[in-house]
Amino acid sequence: MSNEVREDLKYTDTHEWVKIKDDTAIIGITDHAQSELTDIVFAELPEVGKKVVKGDELCVVESVKSVSEIYTPLTGVVKKVNTALEDAPETINQSPYDKGWLVEIKLENIDETNSLHDAESYRKLL
Amino acid sequence: MVKQSPLHTVHKELGATFTEFAGFEMPLQFSSIKEEHLAVRTSVGLFDVSHMSNVWITGPDAEKLLTVTTLEDAHRIGDNKSQYTAILREDGTIIDDTIFMHLGEKYMIIPNAGMDEIVTDWLNKQAKQHALNASAHNVSDEYVILAVQGPRSQDTLQKLTDIDLKTVGFFGCTDITVADAACIISHTGYTGELGFELQIPLNENVEHVFRKILEAGKEFSIIPIGLGARDTLRLEKCFLLAGNEFEGGRTPLEALLSWAINWDHDFIGKDALLEQKQTGIYRRLTCLECIGKGIPRHGCEVRKDDSKVGVVSSGSLSPCLNKGIALAYVDKEYREVDTILDISIRGKTVQAKVIKPPFVKKDWAKHR
Repeated sequence: MSNEVREDLKYTDTHEWVKIKDDTAIIGITDHAQSELTDIVFAELPEVGKKVVKGDELCVVESVKSVSEIYTPLTGVVKKVNTALEDAPETINQSPYDKGWLVEIKLENIDETNSLHDAESYRKLL
Repeated sequence: MVKQSPLHTVHKELGATFTEFAGFEMPLQFSSIKEEHLAVRTSVGLFDVSHMSNVWITGPDAEKLLTVTTLEDAHRIGDNKSQYTAILREDGTIIDDTIFMHLGEKYMIIPNAGMDEIVTDWLNKQAKQHALNASAHNVSDEYVILAVQGPRSQDTLQKLTDIDLKTVGFFGCTDITVADAACIISHTGYTGELGFELQIPLNENVEHVFRKILEAGKEFSIIPIGLGARDTLRLEKCFLLAGNEFEGGRTPLEALLSWAINWDHDFIGKDALLEQKQTGIYRRLTCLECIGKGIPRHGCEVRKDDSKVGVVSSGSLSPCLNKGIALAYVDKEYREVDTILDISIRGKTVQAKVIKPPFVKKDWAKHR
């Protein structure tokens, strides 16, 4: 079981990570989540320009046997998606915090980030 | 109450994650489904499939009972031979599919997980109705079933027994001693690879056998395999999974089992099958290989030009082909090889092509 937690990121109860830079947020799934899912074989990403509200389904990642919905922890508009995952979804397993990022969102309400966990408090959930 | 395998603690020790299946908590995976899948296709893997059932058929009319209740004329199946078959209701739908092993005066059948009581009761009821001197005994709780599957399965098991496994023959079965345990071996499997299945009574040292097989297979990099890879391995070969492919009542003609029907004997459900064969209009299991990206799952709709023409009974990513694959019940008009159909996955359409079974051909590992 792999459980790396990075200091510079924010986290959710449902094992997404968020990297905030000014008014944008990059979202991915944590090392713990990828390790639980094992063998990610498909990632379905949203359309650029889609408006998402906190709690909406953002993308779907599939392992051989399971389908997992990823919910956005923040409200905003999808600015970029990691299209490299379409041909290499296993990147999420190999590099969950770097090359395996999922979606970049332009934030609508920066205050929502206050409810996210910092590294220390996320570690306690594992 | 959820049952566990007698080897549960061994699986835990080996790092298994578990899943509930038909009333049993069994290993889903040990390392990863992909890795386990490829180990079986290229070398060898060890499965605990104790969730499957064991039922003895005994009595002077045992052969007749199997003949009247299955697709096969049991008289045709000689001593020390195994046969794949199915048990039908009067209306031709499948109650269960099973292997039966002819072992001297008696037969052992291997109903699916959770089907032991239903099948045992059905067989005893039919014995009575047909005035046959034969009976079925459910002994599922008295056996562990191990499967050793993959091109190196024979090399692995041969180290643990004095019997020359070549003499067992494909679909052969016999009493045997493996790693000091008296058990039944059958040259069968659910992976489409060379393989063997062992029925080991619980009064033998089952854990010892399990560990000995892992030890014997070490030089071939044997690993334990969970139900996840068991499902993807069987799907690539178009073997049926009772809970998926028989759901809602399917006949052998619908479920691609015509090859298993021996028409030269009378059996329960035969009249219904003859009638269905004559009309010829029914959905039949069809192999669909995705062209576009996406993984079909159980229950996805199959469509052609916006009308629903079928439904996926089993779907997954094929670890060997790295494509989405599905078994689907499809209307008669759309089953021809190379027909392009749409599979609806979470509201999106993924194109798929009808192919001739199986998805992964024989000797795939040699040609990849």
